[in-house]
Amino acid sequence: MSTPPRPRRTTATVVPAPSAPEPAPPAEMAVRARSFEKRPFLLDFFPLETQKDTRLARFYDRLREGRLSTTRCPRDGLLHWPPRTACPKCHLEELEWVDLPESGRLYAFSAVLAAAPLGMEDDVPFAVGLVDLDGAPLRLFGRVEGRPWNALHIGQKVRTESYDVGDGRVFYRFRVDG
Amino acid sequence: MNVRPVAVVGGATVRFGVRAATWSELAQEVGVALFRAVPELRSEDVDSLFVGAAEPERFAFQSHVAPLAAEQMGLRPTRILQRTELACASGQSAIRSAYAAIASGLSDIAVAVGVEKMNLPSMAEANSAMGCVMDRAWDGPHGATAPPFFAMVAQRHMVEHGTTEEQMAAVSEKNHRFANSNPHAQFYEKTFSRDKLLRLPLIAPPLRLGDCSSMSDGAGAVVLAGEETVRRYTDTPAWIRGTGQYSDFHNLANAGSLTDWVGLKRASREALHRAHIGITDLDMAEVHDCFSISEIVEYEALGLCAEGQGGAFAADGRGDLGGDLVVNPRGGLLGCGHPLGATGVAQAVEVFQQFAHAVPPIRQVPSPEWALVHNLSGSANVHSVMVYQRGGAA
Repeated sequence: MSTPPRPRRTTATVVPAPSAPEPAPPAEMAVRARSFEKRPFLLDFFPLETQKDTRLARFYDRLREGRLSTTRCPRDGLLHWPPRTACPKCHLEELEWVDLPESGRLYAFSAVLAAAPLGMEDDVPFAVGLVDLDGAPLRLFGRVEGRPWNALHIGQKVRTESYDVGDGRVFYRFRVDG
Repeated sequence: MNVRPVAVVGGATVRFGVRAATWSELAQEVGVALFRAVPELRSEDVDSLFVGAAEPERFAFQSHVAPLAAEQMGLRPTRILQRTELACASGQSAIRSAYAAIASGLSDIAVAVGVEKMNLPSMAEANSAMGCVMDRAWDGPHGATAPPFFAMVAQRHMVEHGTTEEQMAAVSEKNHRFANSNPHAQFYEKTFSRDKLLRLPLIAPPLRLGDCSSMSDGAGAVVLAGEETVRRYTDTPAWIRGTGQYSDFHNLANAGSLTDWVGLKRASREALHRAHIGITDLDMAEVHDCFSISEIVEYEALGLCAEGQGGAFAADGRGDLGGDLVVNPRGGLLGCGHPLGATGVAQAVEVFQQFAHAVPPIRQVPSPEWALVHNLSGSANVHSVMVYQRGGAA
């Protein structure tokens, strides 16, 4: 026995009347929507910074205290970036946390003047760079704040800082003082 | 180790560019183009299909693209069906996988297709997709996409070796000139002088618009066959004689030198060694000029010139027709556009057509016998190289 054809759905009711705009969302929801739009979409879609979601929660806990840190292997002394749950050299899982130097110098930099990813369009132009940390064998990549890109130079002194992403998350970046 | 000789026996691409076509429609279009370009090919001959696609989940909201591509192209693989993903090198990965399958005897005749749809109504969304190629969790949130990374490569090359914007423009001018006579290129019949290129807006300083390959929609496909069946399809097969791949980092913090591409040195040495030839035996090369500076660093890493001399090599026309080695006669990524999964396949199509003397005379390499194809992916952290030889006995 064949099924009778479904009745066609009328489209008349889905055409919005031009005189009746959608009601504005409650103020609180509008604020949340705006902060969502502005969020760098290359972060996880939702915060994953606590012990419930990541084995690297201590990285974010320490960053919240203003300390940029990473893991080091106590067996072979290897300093990792990004922080890890196991040493890539000897596969030891009992790693130690160490604070990274708070200053460094620009090894290379550029700026995004066009073609920014979603959530970063309003930041354009913004500078990014690779920074050699003072006294640590690490060259970290990150956003460079505090000075326009065309006033930066290789060797420029920068410091690390943590910042509030705006939805309970924390992340890090570099800043040029003065 | 003795493996069965494998050759590319035909191929085709669609027009690259901002296309009014979906991912599936591009796959369907390249299927039509492939069967037209290889008239002796019957659908039932093809036992395996490898689909190079970098980010269909982001660009086309589609996973499981291998059976989708098979259906669109009118193929019913009975042995191996799979997608290959290696970002910007996804197309070459499809060819390498097909080669391995046929060389091992698991496949006899395979198609390698590359498809990418990149132009979306929201280019910010497309740029986010490009950010996912990097270490998305650690580098991406700072705004790391390809242009600022390769801009830092250019900055370091300028500081360390005195490379100039004019030398980068020389690369871009050459590749756009070849693309001008390639009807499948995004910049077909477009003219870019060095002066014009140097006046284009900065995208990520020191890189200008003309130093960057374009977000492009496109597709390419090749047929590969084992030695027993090669002659059924062509008199000018492109034999795969060597391959090499090398990767040594992913997070940008672990890149080491930005200007010394150790991975390309190792991958190309491996591929040339397997082909029993040296770099000076090559007649042409299709290299990954995602940015003008990339081709300059690649000249050096391939050993075409001394370290730091890549800029001068470009400015002196040594990578041009009549120079030391013809590089990117197809028009490169700069001139053709760079649909991630399609690029590596389109480069192989160019090698096949050059071997068959089937390209316009203005970009025909004189009697090419050996060709090298290179793709980098991500932040130049993976290098993939293949070496081809024209015709002759297996």
